[in-house]
Amino acid sequence: ALSFRGQLYGAGTAGSCRGGGGGAVGKMAAWGGVSRLWRRCCQGPGTFPVNYSSRDMPKQYRFLLNKDLLWVQFSGLHTDLHRHKDNSLVSISDEPDTLYRKLSVLVKGHDKTVLDSYEYFAVLAAKELGISIEKVHEPPRKIERFTLLKSIHIFKKHRVQYEMRTHYRCLELKHLTGSTADVYLEYIQRNLPEGVAMEIKKTKLEKLPEHIQKPVWDKLLSVEETASTS
Amino acid sequence: MAVDQDWSNVYPTAAAFNPSSVPLPIRMGYPVKRGVPPPKEGNLELIKIPNFLHLTPPAIKKHCTALKDFCTEWPTVLDSDEKCEQHFPIEIETVDYVSAGLSVRNPKARVVTLRVKLSKLNLDDHAKKKLIKLVGERYCKDTDMLTITTDRCPLRRQNYDYGMYLLTVLYHESWKTEMWENEKTEADMEEYIWENSPSQKNALDTLLRIRAAEKTTEVTREELLASGIVENYKTSVVALKNEGETENNVLQYKESVMKLLNLQALQ
Repeated sequence: ALSFRGQLYGAGTAGSCRGGGGGAVGKMAAWGGVSRLWRRCCQGPGTFPVNYSSRDMPKQYRFLLNKDLLWVQFSGLHTDLHRHKDNSLVSISDEPDTLYRKLSVLVKGHDKTVLDSYEYFAVLAAKELGISIEKVHEPPRKIERFTLLKSIHIFKKHRVQYEMRTHYRCLELKHLTGSTADVYLEYIQRNLPEGVAMEIKKTKLEKLPEHIQKPVWDKLLSVEETASTS
Repeated sequence: MAVDQDWSNVYPTAAAFNPSSVPLPIRMGYPVKRGVPPPKEGNLELIKIPNFLHLTPPAIKKHCTALKDFCTEWPTVLDSDEKCEQHFPIEIETVDYVSAGLSVRNPKARVVTLRVKLSKLNLDDHAKKKLIKLVGERYCKDTDMLTITTDRCPLRRQNYDYGMYLLTVLYHESWKTEMWENEKTEADMEEYIWENSPSQKNALDTLLRIRAAEKTTEVTREELLASGIVENYKTSVVALKNEGETENNVLQYKESVMKLLNLQALQ
């Protein structure tokens, strides 16, 4: 299995295929503007390496094919080819990779020190995987308090008060591809400690679909005219 | 524990604290009077809390080197927000929720928010105004952003499809011109238009009367309209009405009126 990375295209010029790897057909098209295809890195059958042998890694990262995306593929760097060729667990699929402009991970917990350790872990993991971190901040904690009667019957003057403290930590990452986001999020979520919840906000980038490029009334009118005349 | 042993073999996965496996002299708990916190042997406090002994920095680095093969790189072209917007105008926002509980599912996860800038869509003047009227509160004038939030379907995929369908329908409907749109009154107009307005009539009437009083050459309305002074007056009035009263706008209006009525001498 080989992986390819997209590269920049000059506007209106056709790029050349550089050492296109075995089995991959590069279709060059001079497209006004920039176009590229990134192939998704999927995991082939088999167990996850090293430490997670006990848990099964789920199915392939198959996503809905967005047929409206016009992607053109071209070759990647030589080093990438080798790295992915050796690893038999990686399988490359032809569908275009989704792009996330921003990924916001908010963790909530009752214990601040647990969140501190988790933040250290998440930040180190992001750095090691090469994900750019935009901001790591701590939203203010929220305390929910309520007052209940201490006794089951009468004694209205004697109450007991409880509170629940929720601490937050927000980690904002930017410019992630779908494969990287899936990998990172799965790693983060499997190591989520007990008693900690997480909310992930993903901002996906998409092109304008084909049916919005031009109003459809012109085509309809011409179709009607031809139908009436014929 | 041997000194050269690999720690990731002792704690490969998340496990409860085992005092005999961890060689650190940890004490945890509330101390007795004039005493120290209890030691780690048989210490429930240490077992209760979540520990990160399986996620030491070398272990994380090992995991990441193994995971790196599954990651793809971000395209170097799209390094700024403007370029992302130029090539990918639509933004879809979804939220996932992870928590422990009776159920894995969260009903809030089906909400999908679609954001697009109207300048990226292929709209002409009439279509843009009609779209803004159709959409109402979902359009923000300052950022030129249309935000569609859908949550009426039970699945996220369905909500996304519905959002795209709404966008398509809005786009195509705004290009249509219905018969009743001819009845658009001045109160419906979004911005001030000078042509056929009372301001234009007044200005032209005044100028014609000035010319008639001075008995100079007869000038037609069209020539007056085309002249530079009237154009100046028109731009200043339009700026005042559309942008509000700023210092610049008011000064410009004053100058254009003075030129219109030949009042330089009064300065």
